[in-house]
Amino acid sequence: MKKITKEDIEKIDPLKKDLGKSWIKVGMSTCGVAAGADEVYATLIEEAKKRNIEIDIRKCGCQGACSVEPLVEVNVEGLPKVLYGRVNKDVAITILERHVRNKKLLHDYIFEIN
Amino acid sequence: MQKKIIYLKDTDSTQQDRVNDFYTLFSNELRDTNLIEQASVVRIADMGLYEKGVAVKILPENIVYTGLKNTDVKKIIEETIKGNKVIKESLYEKKSKQMRAVLKNCGYIDPESLEDYLAAGGYKALAKVLLEMKPEQVVEELKKSGLRGRGGAGYPTWMKWNFARGMNSPEKYVICNGDEGDPGAYMDRSVLEGDPHSVLEGMIIAGYTIGSSKGYFYIRAEYPLAVERVQKAIDQAVEAGLLGNNILGSNYSFELEIRLGAGAFVCGEETALIASIEGKRGTPHPRPPYPSVKGLWEKPTIINNVETLANIPQLIFGGGAKFASIGTEKSKGTKVFALTGKVKNSGLVEVPMGITIREIIFDIGGGILNNRSIKAVQTGGPSGGVIPQEFLDTPVDYENLGKLGSIMGSGGMIAIDETDCLVDLAKFYLKFCVDESCGKCAPCRLGGYQLLHLLEKISEGKGEMEDLDKLKKISYAMQKASLCGLGQSASNPVFSTIRYFEEEYKKHIIEKKCPAGKCKALIYFKILPPKCKKCGLCFKNCPSAAILGSREAGYVIDPIKCVKCGLCFDVCKFKAVTKE
Repeated sequence: MKKITKEDIEKIDPLKKDLGKSWIKVGMSTCGVAAGADEVYATLIEEAKKRNIEIDIRKCGCQGACSVEPLVEVNVEGLPKVLYGRVNKDVAITILERHVRNKKLLHDYIFEIN
Repeated sequence: MQKKIIYLKDTDSTQQDRVNDFYTLFSNELRDTNLIEQASVVRIADMGLYEKGVAVKILPENIVYTGLKNTDVKKIIEETIKGNKVIKESLYEKKSKQMRAVLKNCGYIDPESLEDYLAAGGYKALAKVLLEMKPEQVVEELKKSGLRGRGGAGYPTWMKWNFARGMNSPEKYVICNGDEGDPGAYMDRSVLEGDPHSVLEGMIIAGYTIGSSKGYFYIRAEYPLAVERVQKAIDQAVEAGLLGNNILGSNYSFELEIRLGAGAFVCGEETALIASIEGKRGTPHPRPPYPSVKGLWEKPTIINNVETLANIPQLIFGGGAKFASIGTEKSKGTKVFALTGKVKNSGLVEVPMGITIREIIFDIGGGILNNRSIKAVQTGGPSGGVIPQEFLDTPVDYENLGKLGSIMGSGGMIAIDETDCLVDLAKFYLKFCVDESCGKCAPCRLGGYQLLHLLEKISEGKGEMEDLDKLKKISYAMQKASLCGLGQSASNPVFSTIRYFEEEYKKHIIEKKCPAGKCKALIYFKILPPKCKKCGLCFKNCPSAAILGSREAGYVIDPIKCVKCGLCFDVCKFKAVTKE
């Protein structure tokens, strides 16, 4: 990677952090990992590949709602941004199938919606 | 027209859940008005609102109504869904009590990606400092901001930096104190794991300000993920030229290294921390000289908490005056708390200084588990104290908490309900400090042990009234004579529990009773024959075969064999087992 200059820092498009229109973020701090976020993340990556679902899956830090970890935030075009709590392996697969592919929400796991 | 979605949730916990009734009402109403195509009803798990009655949120407009009655359903369908109008009377204006400044990137960006941090406005403050500001100007901004150390003591950050800046020495050091050891506190871990670059940026700015070219991250070894992410961040920064020689084309050079703490609580104390980095035994030594005069390798050193450093980039970028606009007169900015204990939603919260404890516990935390009532709040970990529920409306800042006999601390906040015993709590924290005392000075080593001994005596029902005075006396001696913060503050939990809950201590001593039913030596389990249905559940579950009898003759508890685990009390469906 080349050295960054001041211009580079100022030039960066702040919209870039919004990662485009469709993405999944998994909270992967110690609190999330302890609750099983590792497995959820691995499942998402693996199953998305298996099912040919193209979506950007990324790690992120702790969102603060530690009592309902693991947290998975999903943004799909045309749907509100949803934060799912207490996600496990099975729920992760359902998120891919129901939310990402069929554009329907998983009601029982919604903890925040915007 | 875009399809509307109605999210439904009963936010009251005291009553029976009314969500299903409302779900039916809404569904029927939608069907009757032929609006099924335009809107759907959804029951969700949490809405971030508590004790506000039945609430709905309507998207895409994001309208929130609270305190709904059965009769409101028709109106909402009629006016909001069909007519696109907002019903003012039921509207809930969401005022978020939280304010995310330090945690603004946590959970939003990928902590392992420098690009993400840059896109979130990262390193802009560094560029501004290195290329446009003199060290004096940075100190001036800090002074304007009123930022105080977030590690607990609340020493003004600008003074610390200014002392070190004024020292004439070719070598100076910056240390980030990530040795977070308070039970129940994990703010620093989350920042290091969720947004490591912000701490890095803060450290480089600190280095530039005091004229240092070398910094250390002191992170406890129990945080492997934090260490991994910080190391990754350092590597990325070196590769991008944000660390190393001539940062961003200026003539300033700085390097960073991680040192692991090996699990000693006392190493969070700054002089012990320095000794630990130097490779010596982690014991404190007397101050002055303060580290900003004579610190690491006897050179001027500044030691800042993770949260303090994470505050720096946004402070410099937005300016000191903007930072100072948040908070109370003497405590500025925001503070991150790790909210744990008997609250419904435990987790990390970041609030502006000056918010009341009640707002944190009830509005953000959602209140107390199982609808019990709150008894007190413990802040500041083993160095802090308890705040009884009558003071819950106190605004949170350094001075107010100090006045109440507690401290801000690093930000642990533990809710205590009526089933917790304060003597037991004081014992727990004291035991922690006794275990962690390094043993160098006598007041802490001996005093702590004696205090613990006295508390154990009281909780076993062998306490005498003189013990209370002894507790106070030893606590006072420890506060005055201990070498470092650990010993000076180790007796705080004892002091503050006696101050507010002397009655509870007296009940233990005089009546030999534990009102909360926590102290095992003072409680007895008994089976009430009239209520007992002879089901034998307690008999089956007892781990120590202390329950005697049969399904025909009924059961009794043998007090000698009973280990007081409370299992029989928990499993009995007929409330035939009593605890006193």
